[in-house]
Amino acid sequence: MNHTMISAQHVTKRFTEPVEFVVLDDVSIDVQKGEFVVLVGPSGSGKTTLMYTLSTLDTEYDGDIEIDNTTIRSLSKNQLATFRNTMIGFVFQFHYLLPDFTVLENVMLPAQRLGIWSEEEMEHRAMEKLALLGVADQASKKSNKLSGGQQQRVAIARALVNEPKILFGDEPTGNLDTKNTDIVLDILQDLKTEFNQTILMVTHDTAFARRADRIISIRDGRIVE
Amino acid sequence: MLGVMFGVTVFIFQAGLLTGLQNYFIDKTVNTTAHVHIYNEVRTARPHVISRYIDTTSRWVVVRNQKPREEARRVRNGTQIISDIQKDPRVEGVAPFLGLQGIYRLGMSQQAGSLAGVDILREDQLFKVKENMIAGDLLRMETLPNGIILGAGLAEKLGATIDNSIIVISSKGVSLDMKVVGISKTGITLQDNTRAYISLRNAQRLLQQSGSYITDINVRLRDVDLSESVAREYQTRYGYRAEDWKAANANVFGIFRIQNMTVTFVIISILVVSGFGIFNILMTIIYEKMPDIAILKAMGYRDRDISQIFLIESLAIGITGGLFGLLLGFLASKIVGMIPLNIQGFVSVQYLVINFNPLFYMAAFAFALISTTVAGYFPARKAARFDPVEIIRSR
Ligand SMILES: Nc1ncnc2c1ncn2[C@@H]1O[C@H](COP(=O)(O)OP(=O)(O)OP(=O)(O)O)[C@@H](O)[C@H]1O
Ligand SMILES: [Mg+2]
Repeated sequence: MNHTMISAQHVTKRFTEPVEFVVLDDVSIDVQKGEFVVLVGPSGSGKTTLMYTLSTLDTEYDGDIEIDNTTIRSLSKNQLATFRNTMIGFVFQFHYLLPDFTVLENVMLPAQRLGIWSEEEMEHRAMEKLALLGVADQASKKSNKLSGGQQQRVAIARALVNEPKILFGDEPTGNLDTKNTDIVLDILQDLKTEFNQTILMVTHDTAFARRADRIISIRDGRIVE
Repeated sequence: MLGVMFGVTVFIFQAGLLTGLQNYFIDKTVNTTAHVHIYNEVRTARPHVISRYIDTTSRWVVVRNQKPREEARRVRNGTQIISDIQKDPRVEGVAPFLGLQGIYRLGMSQQAGSLAGVDILREDQLFKVKENMIAGDLLRMETLPNGIILGAGLAEKLGATIDNSIIVISSKGVSLDMKVVGISKTGITLQDNTRAYISLRNAQRLLQQSGSYITDINVRLRDVDLSESVAREYQTRYGYRAEDWKAANANVFGIFRIQNMTVTFVIISILVVSGFGIFNILMTIIYEKMPDIAILKAMGYRDRDISQIFLIESLAIGITGGLFGLLLGFLASKIVGMIPLNIQGFVSVQYLVINFNPLFYMAAFAFALISTTVAGYFPARKAARFDPVEIIRSR
């Protein structure tokens, strides 16, 4: 059964400052449920910009984007926030863990915003994700006491805690050494094969790209197959 | 937080100090001035007699060197007015008064001052003369025909002590031998330095007047707040000027008003400054926390969730700073209230009287909360408006 998770039609985005500049030029992409897609391309080609637009973070573009059959443009600012909270998980190059919070508290943050589970339920789910990423033993530590690789794994656990439909990433292994990169890549692949998780990642890394179902190349804001 | 704390401290301390002093003064005044004071207002510019008989609108009439009428200050039928007022159920006490200027002499020392001819028992009922006496015996005013009670400052200047004989000379040139039977200290400096009580009869003798001659009637009410309306009523009923105690001390209340305004401005400026302090701190914090704000927004926190976090933060500053300020203000007031000092001003005090009115504490706390909330509002709104894309991109 084929189910389109992301559908972008003729997405064009331009920056007007400092000079008029077209970053995304008539981009159309479909991503199916359970697909592991990577976005590659030279620096400055518009990968990050495309990821932000597809993931609803950036709402200023021409064209149409649907996620799980919801037209993003039709949502208000608050609806969009709620939509992201339930549907989308993010992993960035930097982990963005809150330094004063413990690992467990960090992972629970999206669940707290969701607000449908009891405290114990949230804790249980957070621990489950931490275990999945092999960092359950770090749960009670302050997040700034972890190694870079551990922090990135915690960040992935946090992205997954609300069971999002899509996991977005922007060079999630960009700050990691090869060993940690391999661990993260294994985890992503497991997510895909075991949980049928839809994944869209931006990367520079060729090893990363090799693990994906599909590679989308982008150059000067245009898709080149 | 320190800013809020000190703001609240100063608020409480200043307000307590100022109103403490003012209340002390009012207290003293209520006990030493009549709630309602009836007297004959001397009109020095009396219309001259000629104007009664000649039309002065079309003519020039000049009368030179017209003298105020004798006995102008007299309250006629005073005895009757007093017994009439006595029947008023709102009245606690009423006392006749005959004021005159005189000179006190003890041996070679001599002082000018004002003499109060009073019915000492009635006077005591009104002004707690007995309570204010630091030496002597009030009742001897009744038993001795020529007793005098001196103000403490006056007695000191004269060098007079109990049972000394002093001579009192009036402007009419009458002199009387008096015996000091008491020394009183009201705390109101001017009175203590010039005033002496003598009997009504002796005052009348000094002025060469008959036994019904009085110049003032003082009334004490059961409820001091009725002063103004009762005064107005008596003025129309008896045809003499009747003044309530607030009007009599209008100049002092004017000063109070200016003091209060000054302190209010000082307090407001402190709170404004501490508000700006909080504003600055929160601004710094939100810039430090920009990455956190960005990720929270990316994971679906709404703008209002973000601004709530920072509002709660500033409110926490307000609450803790406010509470510490309350405590510090209370302690400062307590400590200053224990420092002994002797001030001779309007009133003489040994210790600073500090008002611990809980209303100040509530108001100060409320102000702390309001100023921190206002100060936190703009940073919180700013935090909510951050664009996560820009922040994450710039990392
Ligand atoms: N806010 C902005 N205003 C103006 N130009 C921008 C802005 N953000 C990005 N750009 C430009 O858009 C282009 C695409 O940027 P983007 O970050 O998407 O590239 P990228 O493919 O992710 O590059 P990299 O591989 O280096 O991360 C770049 O030329 C960049 O300078
Ligand atoms: Mg990029």
